[in-house]
Amino acid sequence: MKISINWLKNYVNIPDNTDINQLAELFTTRTAEVEEVIDLASTFDKMVVGKIEAIEPHPNADKLQITQTNVGGEILKIVCGAQNIYIGQKVAVAKNGAKVKWHGEGELVELKPTKIRGEESNGMICAASEIGLKDEEDGIMDLSNLEAEPGTSLAEALQKNDQIIDIDNKSLTHRPDLWGHYGIAREVAAITGQSLKPIELHHEYPSTETIIPVEIKAKDHCKRYLSTTIENIQVGPSPEWLKNALENTGNRSINNIVDATNFVMLELGNPLHAFDTNKIKEKIIIRTAEKGEKIETLKEGEKELDSDMLIIADKEKPLAIAGIMGGLNSGINNETTSITLEAANFDPISTRKTSVKLGIRTESVQRFEKDLDPLLAEQAFDRLVKIILDLCPSAKIVSAKNDQKNFDYQIKTVKLDLNKVRSKIGVQIESMEIEEKLKNLEFKVKKLDTHHLEVEVPSFRATKDINHQDDLIEEIARLYGYEKIPTRIPELSLTLPKPNTERLEKYSIRNILSLECGYNETLNYSFYSKKTLQNAGLEASKHLKIKNFLSEEQTHLRTTLLPNLLITAANNLKVEDGFKLFEIGRTFIYQNEYFPLEEKHLAGLLVLPKKSKMEPFYEVRDDISRLLERLRITSLKYKRAEKACSMAHPNKHAAFFDFKTQQEIVQIYELHPLIAKNFDLEKNRIACFEINYSLLHKLNRADQKYKAISKYPAVEFDISAILNNNIEYQTLESQIKNIDKNLVKSVQLFDYYKGPNINEGKISMAFKIKLQSNDRTLTDQEIKEIQQNAFQVLQKLGGEIRGL
Amino acid sequence: MQDLLNSALQAIENANNSNELKEIEIKYLGKKGLITEQLKTLKDLSEEDKRTTGKAIQEIKQKFLSAYQKKASQLEIEEINSKLTAEFFDITLPRLNKINHSKKGTIHPLNQLQQQVEEIFSDMGFEIADGPEVESEYYNFEALNIPSHHPARDMQDTFFIENKADPKHGELILRTHTSPVQIRTMELKGAPLRIIVPGRVFRYEATDATHDSTFNQVEGLLIDKNIGLADLKGIMEEFLSRLFEKDITVRFRPGYFPFVEPGLELDILWQKGKNGQSDKWLEFMGAGMVHPNVLKAGGIDPENNQGWAFGFGITRLAMIKYQIADIRQIHNSDLRFLKQF
Repeated sequence: MKISINWLKNYVNIPDNTDINQLAELFTTRTAEVEEVIDLASTFDKMVVGKIEAIEPHPNADKLQITQTNVGGEILKIVCGAQNIYIGQKVAVAKNGAKVKWHGEGELVELKPTKIRGEESNGMICAASEIGLKDEEDGIMDLSNLEAEPGTSLAEALQKNDQIIDIDNKSLTHRPDLWGHYGIAREVAAITGQSLKPIELHHEYPSTETIIPVEIKAKDHCKRYLSTTIENIQVGPSPEWLKNALENTGNRSINNIVDATNFVMLELGNPLHAFDTNKIKEKIIIRTAEKGEKIETLKEGEKELDSDMLIIADKEKPLAIAGIMGGLNSGINNETTSITLEAANFDPISTRKTSVKLGIRTESVQRFEKDLDPLLAEQAFDRLVKIILDLCPSAKIVSAKNDQKNFDYQIKTVKLDLNKVRSKIGVQIESMEIEEKLKNLEFKVKKLDTHHLEVEVPSFRATKDINHQDDLIEEIARLYGYEKIPTRIPELSLTLPKPNTERLEKYSIRNILSLECGYNETLNYSFYSKKTLQNAGLEASKHLKIKNFLSEEQTHLRTTLLPNLLITAANNLKVEDGFKLFEIGRTFIYQNEYFPLEEKHLAGLLVLPKKSKMEPFYEVRDDISRLLERLRITSLKYKRAEKACSMAHPNKHAAFFDFKTQQEIVQIYELHPLIAKNFDLEKNRIACFEINYSLLHKLNRADQKYKAISKYPAVEFDISAILNNNIEYQTLESQIKNIDKNLVKSVQLFDYYKGPNINEGKISMAFKIKLQSNDRTLTDQEIKEIQQNAFQVLQKLGGEIRGL
Repeated sequence: MQDLLNSALQAIENANNSNELKEIEIKYLGKKGLITEQLKTLKDLSEEDKRTTGKAIQEIKQKFLSAYQKKASQLEIEEINSKLTAEFFDITLPRLNKINHSKKGTIHPLNQLQQQVEEIFSDMGFEIADGPEVESEYYNFEALNIPSHHPARDMQDTFFIENKADPKHGELILRTHTSPVQIRTMELKGAPLRIIVPGRVFRYEATDATHDSTFNQVEGLLIDKNIGLADLKGIMEEFLSRLFEKDITVRFRPGYFPFVEPGLELDILWQKGKNGQSDKWLEFMGAGMVHPNVLKAGGIDPENNQGWAFGFGITRLAMIKYQIADIRQIHNSDLRFLKQF
């Protein structure tokens, strides 16, 4: 909201030497955020009123003339191309150094002494568009009607000698009283210790009958409606002061009557409306619309109304959408001679709802939705009548002041505990000072006892934001000065916070995967598209769907982290060949309850470089085994997954399985070639893992225990065998170890071969077996026995021992 | 004709491989196929019959084709899968060459920063709390003193989930802030409370260099007996000074949030004004004393307990700290970005 400092000066003393930036800063720290201070005069820097003393033709150009222009104390020779100049005319002169827009277009250009077709020219006689006062070009500005003497700064002559503070609307959400200059002036008075000047109102109304009767049918939606009729109105352009007040605060001037209603709205914060009396059929009815009823609005075209929208109507038709926008059919124009004025208080919620539904957001809605003080409507009404009578001296009020009220005003009081004030702010503020701050803001204060006050809330603060003690504490704190609150470290009871082990473990996981295993952590969105989930072979029915999604790419909440990782992988393949990625995040699965099953997952993938001959599955498996080992999780069983996930290669998948709960907590698989194709990843081999971290975290951790180091020598022997290729290595290893669990320390594969020279369906393997006892040196006999047993184990499994 | 269709569908159903299926197609739709033959008879019929019978045969042909397509793609997947499973794959086979040839990986900058924030607050006695990202309107709004007509609840800010509304909870939504965890933790643990809640939040908001529909916040909540705004200033200065590893000055100014009263904005002094120019402040977070209605909603007696809450955008903090100009870098998983951290 734009607030004019000159306008404020009508109500509160702001000394001329005040630094407005400092005032804005103070307002920001006491009341609401000032986003910007705009110095209107700065655009008119080095521009003055000039008077043309002489005009002669340009010797070298037919369309140009040479003027001698008095700019106060000196005469400038200025070449001018416009035809509407004459001797004695007052004009806007931009002197050298001023910044103008050539022909009202493009960037600002700084004027310099120049020669135009051989003739010296110092400055420029300006059109309104060239100094940003109008959009379209229409000849140079004629300022002859101004009283300003030549040399007067243009800003002063045009009443642009103003500074505007632009306040963030959002920071005024809870302050219906701050939506006009008078409210802001009241706040400025309170924070600078000045007093607020009263505004002039009109109080005399005839006691004659009402010319346009008013009937409020929808009483819930309209707390108050004031109206009267004024005749003998002359609609015309507004005087300069009114035009400037509106234009300087970013509004347009329309005509004197409409401008008056807008002026009072911007002054007091209560929107107002003027109808052309002759266009109202019989009476004004405030009712909800009939479904499908239509209105041609002033600025937004035709709108179809709903049965919960409040309108102002006459006997026949809607005249306005209450609190939002007037209708074209009853608007003021140059033929209007009689006006009927409205000052009302409409329900904030219904006004807001209607505005959202119709997509019309106006200055009026912005104010009504804040819940305005119903007493303000009358003040605004009396003010509007005063201004209109000033603007049209021959106008005459011909109707009584019709004031219909559907509210019962009661003074609101709040009990205040002074010790709570001190405790919550954290400062020992004196009672006197607390009382003074409240009084500055027009609260009335009564002492109940040494620790308690009874505070009476002024009507303009009572509708919305002051309801209980804490609201008053805010008033005291901000007027006391937030910057004066000291910093303090709280004294707290000695209860130790419980560690969030789930979070702490995440830190370790990140370190293990990234620093030890070479994964890069990514963060992807929590949603994907229907196409993506289909590409991944997932069922749409398990997904939560976003009702108001932003794009077709983000319609479903993820049930697994993998699909987005696959998309990410494809994107990264454009710049890099071969990498590892992981992500920790939430998944959401629809279940037949209000809340979905929301779990934390940890997923990742390895994309092998195109030429790599490695088996990606094994690499990811070893990474995850390492992760589990580092987290001291030993209770999970590694096995082929019962049911491979939809993205898994049907042959190359495994799981870490929790026997107790029958849950596959970790899944590892190579990406199915068909799924890879769907994600444009078919050129690289990819292995993936996904861990249900919510479950993983709950697993027991193995104790770390020292194993005695044997003092006796270890013995190693190798076995080479041809085996059927459908035996799992794990089976071989465990059976060999089972020969003597105490003595067989390790079985290690050191050669593996299949292909030419080996029969189809066979593989060749070679193991190194290490034997060691903790209590003796092994005898040759013992070693030989174990070796023989190992041969037998392999033979039983269909193996043929080489070199035997 | 119905029989013809039934036997055709049965044949498709029974096909064991794509060769068999191909034969079935020829049997019905080939040059002399059974359905093709039916189509040929049309020319002998009257115009009227041509239309009705023709339509019927076309329908049968369509049904045949759609069953055929379905079976064909099913068989194709089965055949690919059987090819993929033809050879035994030993999931337990060790790698012979166990040298880790991975390059060093990286941790996402947002998570690095979040860990730092968590560690600092942990050191100051705060617990780290969590809550769901899919939330109810009740926890996200009502319980936080944001009634149903509040502007923040308009469609433009919130993602709604397609779900049946619940009488107490309202619609299911994606949480728009971490504040619902205030209520959930109050319900769970009561007073006193000292928590922070780092987490992902969502806004229905068009994406550009400074706005994203997904970002992370850190919520803070301290409820005890004699806690005031001075303590908030103290904790935040201490936190920020530890995070930025230099002394940080903060200021309060009024701000409006329905769930706190007094409501504040907290700014960080970014640059001391030189030569009479005004200081440059960086808008950092919203905060305030917890509104009594919020304490009540969390089951805490507001007469005997009081405290403050704050919430800041850690995504924005990461952007400031690491000088990331475009917020979209955070979630686009570009390795050229990730590898810098």
